[in-house]
Amino acid sequence: MATYIARRLLQTVGLLFILSVLLFALVNLAPGGPLAGQGQSRHIDPAKIELLKRQFGLDKPLPMQYLIWLVGNDWMKVDKDGDGTLDSYGTRLGILRGDFGFSFRSRQPVLTEIGDRLPNTIYLTTVTLLVAALIAIPIGIISAIRQYSTFDITVTTFSFAGQAIPEFWLGLIMILIFYAWLKNPFTGEPLLPAGGMTSVGSAGFDLGDRIVHLILPVATGALGWVAWYSRFLRSSMLEVVHQDYIRTARAKGLNNWKVLYKHALRNALIPLITLLALDLPYIFGGAIFVEFLFAWPGMGRLYYQAALNRDYPILMAVLIIGAGFIILSNLLADIVYAWLDPRIRLE
Amino acid sequence: MHRLKVTSLVFVVLLTATSLFGCQPAAPSATTEEKSITIIIPEDPPSFNPVITDTGYDSLVMELVMLGLSDIDPEGKVFPELAAEIPTVENGGVVADEDAGTMSVTWKMRQDVQWADGKPVTANDVIFTYESIVNPETGGWIAGIDYIDSVEKIDDYTFTINYNAIYPGYLTQFGGEQVVIWPAHYCDAAQGFSAWECARKPLSNGPFVLSEWVTGDHMTFVRNENYFEKGKPQIDTVTVRIIPDKSVRKTMLVNGDADLDMWTTEQMMHDLKDEPNVEVSLSPYNRWVMRIFFNLAEKGTTDPVATPHPILSDLRVRQAIRAAIDVDTITKEFFLDYAKPAWTEFFRPPYECDNIERPKYDPAAAAALLDEAGWKDTDGDGIRECHGCKTAEEGYVMEMEFITYAEYGEQLELTQQLIAEGLGKIGIKLNLTVVEGSVLWGASTDGGIEQSGNFDMDIWDDGYAGVDPTDFLWSYYSTDSTVPDVGYNYGRWSNEEFDALLGEVYTLDENVRKQKFCEMAKVMEAELPDLLLFTATNGDAHSVRLQGIQSTTNDLVTWNAADWTLK
Repeated sequence: MATYIARRLLQTVGLLFILSVLLFALVNLAPGGPLAGQGQSRHIDPAKIELLKRQFGLDKPLPMQYLIWLVGNDWMKVDKDGDGTLDSYGTRLGILRGDFGFSFRSRQPVLTEIGDRLPNTIYLTTVTLLVAALIAIPIGIISAIRQYSTFDITVTTFSFAGQAIPEFWLGLIMILIFYAWLKNPFTGEPLLPAGGMTSVGSAGFDLGDRIVHLILPVATGALGWVAWYSRFLRSSMLEVVHQDYIRTARAKGLNNWKVLYKHALRNALIPLITLLALDLPYIFGGAIFVEFLFAWPGMGRLYYQAALNRDYPILMAVLIIGAGFIILSNLLADIVYAWLDPRIRLE
Repeated sequence: MHRLKVTSLVFVVLLTATSLFGCQPAAPSATTEEKSITIIIPEDPPSFNPVITDTGYDSLVMELVMLGLSDIDPEGKVFPELAAEIPTVENGGVVADEDAGTMSVTWKMRQDVQWADGKPVTANDVIFTYESIVNPETGGWIAGIDYIDSVEKIDDYTFTINYNAIYPGYLTQFGGEQVVIWPAHYCDAAQGFSAWECARKPLSNGPFVLSEWVTGDHMTFVRNENYFEKGKPQIDTVTVRIIPDKSVRKTMLVNGDADLDMWTTEQMMHDLKDEPNVEVSLSPYNRWVMRIFFNLAEKGTTDPVATPHPILSDLRVRQAIRAAIDVDTITKEFFLDYAKPAWTEFFRPPYECDNIERPKYDPAAAAALLDEAGWKDTDGDGIRECHGCKTAEEGYVMEMEFITYAEYGEQLELTQQLIAEGLGKIGIKLNLTVVEGSVLWGASTDGGIEQSGNFDMDIWDDGYAGVDPTDFLWSYYSTDSTVPDVGYNYGRWSNEEFDALLGEVYTLDENVRKQKFCEMAKVMEAELPDLLLFTATNGDAHSVRLQGIQSTTNDLVTWNAADWTLK
């Protein structure tokens, strides 16, 4: 197992390197650039463009830009003031030494920007996935053991709807109902806040306030996951309950609950847990629509804005860290699968 | 069994850990007597220094905390902020040598303005700001900066700026909606103007002080007790919340959870008209002119002499296109009357020219012009071909691409479609494209559509900021600006008479300037290098209880935040 993991990790490094070259080329060669006017200005003065190119390091050929992004430029002299002579050593360390550069938009270090947003996204997505799993698992089980019952048919219908409804539409409807229409009967205030993580100005940590702010975004984000996981568990459970060992367990006189819980569910959960592991990158990337609608300061919005502004350093950091997450989640899924199911051997 | 327990335990720990991670530092709690308001904007300001990014959001928060030497009011009048008075030729503040083409401007500053830490704002801060901007390594760029030779300190509150040119834009060069004076004792010169930390943790000399900034979520400002205007500001706390979705912003205004929405869209202004708790402040003048750019060179090229555009290089075709656009329908139907027709660059004070008549919407005249120019539809497919035209080969089909940008939203796309429909009726076929702004305006090296000349006709909006159109005119219409990536003369229009007039407006004589600008208007009207259609109205929706809001195109709505009151 240890050799297997070591080999996979080694492969990951190679894969990430190839990916980084591809992503760097794609991000930089896509039409449009960070020197286009934005917001209030439709253009930037040529003198300012020259200055920005120098400050952003865009005055160098693309392969050189990649090299500097990877290993930094503190080992070479650069022309910092634009007078044509190489005057001093650069200050960039490169991502291999943990320097992802600075955002073109805010001029803040990329890791600071990501550090500001990542905890918020992890917070929202973890809760969303947990809530989704906690609702989906019982639904999936009951649907399977009461196959074709009224409950099963109702849930099946709603699952299709849940997967089909777009998040941005659902979110708007939620805000309309719970923020604009329904009022708290005691205070006359809207029943639920329209967005944000906490009430602005609230002092300290207030669990109630946090839960109130979580309800709408989590409900909007979780619906699709609930539908997806419950369908998955239902079919996985149905497959298991028709296995021979279930019949054996019943035959030896175990009560129904024990059969389902100890023999059927634990086997049916294995593929679901693998699926959960594969969905882990979502925890890093966030959900753009939910963050946008509910004013949640997370990674999805950061990435979206960086894409619009062609903020290359932010884009590259999010993409490469995201790619790392996906590769590692796949590895994790494989390991967890082997750990849960002794029949699987990783070689 | 055991394993499942462990798994759930891990989940619980994870949940607790993440909820703690998400925890924000405690904010001071609000008391009920406090006068507090909430401003809602769609994205985080990058910093408090709009010179670096110019998103508008940076200017919005900058105006709450920082002062420049001067600013511009909604009517286009320049007023002093840190300056004691505006220097002019009449009051002796400006000494110009028109023959040598140099001038020097002496600014006297107010002596009663302090930074929030109690230190006075002096000429040293101005000189520090100037030197930080011109630093070739870490500096920034502001309009007209190359015209400055030096900034000399006379005493603590007086300094002189020496120009190597006559620069009429000097009035707001260190003011307006972009430039402010930075504290020399607080900002780190080594970090530099473009990236210093004091741009995100500013030391205030304006009406408010930043007390908290939770990135992507909200910013809190409190009253600056040291503000120089006595008794102001009257609001205690200003919260700026980031609410990306516009329908959510609208609902918050209606619900009374927000007091001010910046740059309210036309649709939203229309929807909010009958809301009892909401008012909309409209700017007295508009800035942004929706316009069509004609590529006078063949698509994909940038030289109209060597490779003239087969259709658009004929003036009669451009005139016909103008006559076939129904501007009134666009402003009424798509902009819900929050737009006014415009047909010249000189439509707002201080330089309004009334020597150009409003063009008529007349499709029949347009069709006649095209016939005259040698574009006729002989094969009956509804699209004209060249039959005797001077600019293309016989049989060339009158079909072009018509591009706009996506970020503006639905109204612009509808406008694009209506124009294409109108031109289709007179036999010009337009194929519609919508692209991202960064693709449309990117540098030619980044594949920018305009800079590389890769278009026939585009529609988008621009207009000069502030009160001096000179730089704007230079970069959009001068021959110098036809070079890709140097200017934005995307149509590559070149006219000697215009260039000569442009040279003559670099004077401080307002009467001469106005006369020259109006002569330029005539040259442009005769040649139609681009086609001005209408200006969208700048408006900001606010709660009825928040008084003193005056929308302006010369600045952000926070320009007079010190004067706001709460009913």
